[in-house]
Amino acid sequence: MRNSIPIMLGLLTLPACQSPAPPPPGSREALIARGREIFFNETFKGNGRTCGTCHPEENNFTIDPAFIATLPDDDPLFVAEFNPALKENFENPKLMREFGLILENLDGFDDLKNKFVMRGVPHTLALPTSIDSPDGPRTGWSGDGAPGDGSLRSFAIGAVIQHFTRTLNRVPDIDFRLPTDKELDALEAFQLSLGRQQDLTLPLALKGTVPKRGQEIFLDNSLGKCNICHLNAGANASLGGQNLGNANFNTGVEALPDQPADLTDELVPPDDGFGIPGDNTFNVPPLVESADSGPFFHNNSIETIEGAVAFYDGKAFNDSPSGRFLASIDPNGVGIELDATQIVAVAAFLRVLNAMENIRQSIALLEASAQKAFFQQKEAKALLQNALAETIDGITVLSGGGLHPEAVAHLKEARRLTANAINSNFSRSKLARQAIHEQEMARVQLVE
Amino acid sequence: MLKLLKGAVVALTLLWGMPYVYGQKATEIFIPVGQSPGLSGKHTSLGKITAIDVPNRTITVADSSGSYTVKITGRTQIWLDKSKLRSTNQKGAFTDLRKDLLIEVKYEGNQRQDTGSAEWIKAQIIE
Repeated sequence: MRNSIPIMLGLLTLPACQSPAPPPPGSREALIARGREIFFNETFKGNGRTCGTCHPEENNFTIDPAFIATLPDDDPLFVAEFNPALKENFENPKLMREFGLILENLDGFDDLKNKFVMRGVPHTLALPTSIDSPDGPRTGWSGDGAPGDGSLRSFAIGAVIQHFTRTLNRVPDIDFRLPTDKELDALEAFQLSLGRQQDLTLPLALKGTVPKRGQEIFLDNSLGKCNICHLNAGANASLGGQNLGNANFNTGVEALPDQPADLTDELVPPDDGFGIPGDNTFNVPPLVESADSGPFFHNNSIETIEGAVAFYDGKAFNDSPSGRFLASIDPNGVGIELDATQIVAVAAFLRVLNAMENIRQSIALLEASAQKAFFQQKEAKALLQNALAETIDGITVLSGGGLHPEAVAHLKEARRLTANAINSNFSRSKLARQAIHEQEMARVQLVE
Repeated sequence: MLKLLKGAVVALTLLWGMPYVYGQKATEIFIPVGQSPGLSGKHTSLGKITAIDVPNRTITVADSSGSYTVKITGRTQIWLDKSKLRSTNQKGAFTDLRKDLLIEVKYEGNQRQDTGSAEWIKAQIIE
């Protein structure tokens, strides 16, 4: 009998050991999986950085000072601090650590000491919704982030040359290797698979009083006017019923007074945006993912989502070409004029949208982890870790705006269950399903 | 109001619809001849310089499909690809172009027949 126990246990666990078949070679899923592997592990024989160095999955594929502060000093992000060849004119460690800014030589590499810009790291979520324009793809903060044909596929080559190099000579096959065509295909497929695959359709039947009013203001083309450039809280512009695709605007961010980086003694040259020389325009990012992926704007000049909304009520925006344009089509000649309660309401709306996306992502990750077989603990736990990060984001985003305490309570329970699932081998799937239930309960609090 | 909006649409379309040449040129300089993603082999020509007309700022290039003339304008960027020498690529000038150099030409408007003017030229330097 004693000998038969292991056999019986084996029989009992057999169904749980049946793993879903791996994606067939050549399939889109296989390409995405390959892209993920490259994105997070491939250094292209460079300075040790990977795409994931600046686009970590656990931090919404972006970096900010709080995340940066958690990294060890030998993290490749800080390569300028420990690689003598990259000590000068490659990064500015002070601005990186304090404001999450990365150095880019967008207008050329002929005067490294003086010709550069300092930019935040845009997340790589919802890219299928945010890079297409009638003139071609727009990538990066100024829409011209890629060499070659300017596509997302080509983006990785520019990133390797700019950020992965071992020395400032930037010689291929010495300082780095260029990605192969197959690697570019895989990286593109992986990036396109991240986050939302389509835009929302607003208005949503929101439940919270303030977010609901925020949505009204957002959609009101005579008040908030947000929907003109961020159709359905995405990255595409719309006017007169026409979807104009992703676009660049000069919104006057560079004209903001007292920008954090400018308050330091560090050299921060003006950023002229798209093209060489630049035309002072910058690309429109999607808003659904904004509340948990700050700081905001191309230069991380504003820390909070409320501050980002308030920017459009300010002088810098209303004096900019975009602000003046909005004023020119307004019957009263007004650009954007919102009061504090309205600013907070729009921000509350964006917080709720973000939390809903956190919940959607968490549920997808929890479901995927629950489907993993017993022996796939590592894969399952990686999914659970990401679900946990999304759940924490949802809690933070709602709590930060004093929104939906009941939903926050459910998310906190989901967080507890997910954390327990990570630490459990035998109850992992059960706990994940319970966490899904809590996520669904949270969502019910936010929207009909 | 509708008229105003329609006018605005036209204005914005004009504003956004300018024929920008996409691509971050800044890193393009470091990409060796024939390896520009999405361009090489599709929208560029690869061949050897057979003649240089200095007064008219044109060069004649020969490839497997024949000979053709390339106009160098004030907008044309010329880069010297020294990657074969394991050296850093550099900005170049019209005067750096020599007979028998292997070059890659990216035309304005993407195709040779569009304008014949080069947006950029990469010249492979091997000695």
